Amino acid sequence: MKRYGKLLFVLLILAAWPWVLREDVQAEGADVQTQGTAVSISPLLTGYIRDAQAQPVLDAHVTAYAENTVLAEAVSQEDGRYTLLVTANTPTPTEITIHVERHHFQAADYVIKDSDLEHLQQSHLLQIPIITLERHITPGFWIATFVFMGMLALIALGKLHNTLAALLGASLIFAVSYLGTPLYDGLYIFHFEDALRYIDWNVIFLIMGMMIVIAVVERTGVFQWAAYMAYRLSGGRAWLLVVILMIVTGIASAFLDNVTTMLLMTPVTIRIALSLGINPLALLMPEVMASNVVGISTLVGTPTNILIGSYGGIGFNDFLTNLTPGVMLALVGLILYSLFVYRHDLRPAETGAGISEVLLQRLAERGRITEPDHLKKAGVVGAGMIVLFVWGERVHLLPSVTAVMGATTLLLWIKPDIEEMIEAVDWTTLVFFMTLFISVGAVQEVGLISYIASGIGRLVGTNLTLAMLAVIWLSAILSTMIANIPFTAAMLPVIGFLSGNIPGAESKVLFYCLSVGSAMGGNGSLIGASANMVTAGIAERAGSSITYMYFLRKGFPALVVTVTLATIWLFIHF
Amino acid sequence: MSGIVCAIRGGASSQPTIDQAIRTAVATDLPVYFLYVLNLDFLKKGSQSRTQTISAEMRELGEFILLAAQAQAEQQGVSAQGIIREGDVVGDEIIGLCHELTADYVILGRPKGAKQENVFTHEQLDRFGRHIEEETGASVVYPLGDNS
Repeated sequence: MKRYGKLLFVLLILAAWPWVLREDVQAEGADVQTQGTAVSISPLLTGYIRDAQAQPVLDAHVTAYAENTVLAEAVSQEDGRYTLLVTANTPTPTEITIHVERHHFQAADYVIKDSDLEHLQQSHLLQIPIITLERHITPGFWIATFVFMGMLALIALGKLHNTLAALLGASLIFAVSYLGTPLYDGLYIFHFEDALRYIDWNVIFLIMGMMIVIAVVERTGVFQWAAYMAYRLSGGRAWLLVVILMIVTGIASAFLDNVTTMLLMTPVTIRIALSLGINPLALLMPEVMASNVVGISTLVGTPTNILIGSYGGIGFNDFLTNLTPGVMLALVGLILYSLFVYRHDLRPAETGAGISEVLLQRLAERGRITEPDHLKKAGVVGAGMIVLFVWGERVHLLPSVTAVMGATTLLLWIKPDIEEMIEAVDWTTLVFFMTLFISVGAVQEVGLISYIASGIGRLVGTNLTLAMLAVIWLSAILSTMIANIPFTAAMLPVIGFLSGNIPGAESKVLFYCLSVGSAMGGNGSLIGASANMVTAGIAERAGSSITYMYFLRKGFPALVVTVTLATIWLFIHF
Repeated sequence: MSGIVCAIRGGASSQPTIDQAIRTAVATDLPVYFLYVLNLDFLKKGSQSRTQTISAEMRELGEFILLAAQAQAEQQGVSAQGIIREGDVVGDEIIGLCHELTADYVILGRPKGAKQENVFTHEQLDRFGRHIEEETGASVVYPLGDNS
């Protein structure tokens, strides 16, 4: 009984604690109110900081002061909101100034006086109107811009490995920020802690999880088997072989990354072409173009879609509903185009003149699944992942979590050499993404992205049709020249701004336009997509050269055909 | 051991080299050793993590290309073997194989339109041909119409 009594006492104390605290607060408040010379107003001032594009400004330093006395200080949050709790005791002020400062913006003041001050005294709370900060171009702006452009140029020209170029960009930005700022404040770009906020971990973990799954699948021989089955199904008819290979490659690209798909499909496709005595490029070019086009039909098909999905809050279902039909339409156009363009190259196989029985026999020997057990398990896990991608959105399950769960399940189930599997994760690509996010974050921080967004905003005004056309075709054309991953990463904040400011764009249609443009634009030139480069690299080693001009001649018309069809779909659907 | 070493990459541009190797073999009654150099340097700018799988695929592709050349040679009654070597520099692999086989002839062709750093230009080909002859004692033969 005694023990229960003690317990009851403790519970009573705990229950009474909030009232005890409330009494203390009231007592403090009473002190403030009764002291003649102290501030006799409620200490809460709140408001929002926005930039010129009405986007929230994070980390702005907000100070409330009166007659040279600082009353309160705060830092704006992610939504731009700040709350000032006035704690200093000062004589009743005639006005209070809210001073806002942030790097890369001009400082701004808002003065509270007269009726606002009276309102503050009466209601104990004042909602301050939105304070808009204008951008301020500093030397840091130019340095970040040149570093970013330099990084894009190094990647585009192939002078440095992508990851090294992005790492160099991020390092230069930090070097200037940390070593330059003590000498001259205008050199400040951002600090390491700020930079980490720009890394999209959802993207990193989604790519990592998918890489592990792909590593298991690629060793099962399923690609070789699928390509051989394509040949069998075609019955030696080259045109049908092209169609089937394009569909097979497209389906694989929709779930696996395009580079891996083409790395595995290209060698076996060349073998089929050699067996049939036809020009390997007549099969390879349609394949890689199909990979670039169909890859965007799902969230996980391309890194650009993963970036777009994570930034725009677009899920697996959204891509299936809003983009996949358009992609299918573009694929049909691409198939017809490819059959027309390569009609002469496909003829030797039609006549059967170049078919080699020795090679076909070899092809049949190798066209089998080497690890059926692993493939079965990967299939089960893959199906489960697709279900979670589709249904997980209802419980806010992030795609990255699904990917990591799927990869872990697969590893536990098949128990591979874990070292080998971890090595299969392309860490250089993950580092590329992280450092790319930092470089893009730097130009976002200094305001370059805002200026670009404003410029595009002024061009398209509130015309959604114009905005859609501009985003699709500009990104398609630019993607033929610059790598589409950094381009997409840089464009996302711009698209975010346009989506929030153009009536009708809240449907996220501009994000789909970016997806179409940046991926299908990859077909416009050899350097437009990594999958193109990989295909050309392998083809070159088999004596079939894909030059820049060759790709341009065959690929650019394909870009026009597919992007036009996808544009038509987006206009019909939205 | 003696014979004819012929490095090929496959495709139409290797055909004159293969034809020349077969002609030389018919004339000398020596076996032909077709060489395919597996070079994965294109992966250096992409995904190194795929090297293991891609290496196997490329090796299979190389074997396929060699098989096609062997089939052509055997159709004309020439004894032929395919050899795959892994390396970044094709020239080093050719010299290495010549030493191993104490080759009598080396057929040197230059794939047209090739822009890779590891593939010969006409001037380099001449220089390399003389270098092989000095290093290995083998006679270098160029395909008809390729470097005459």
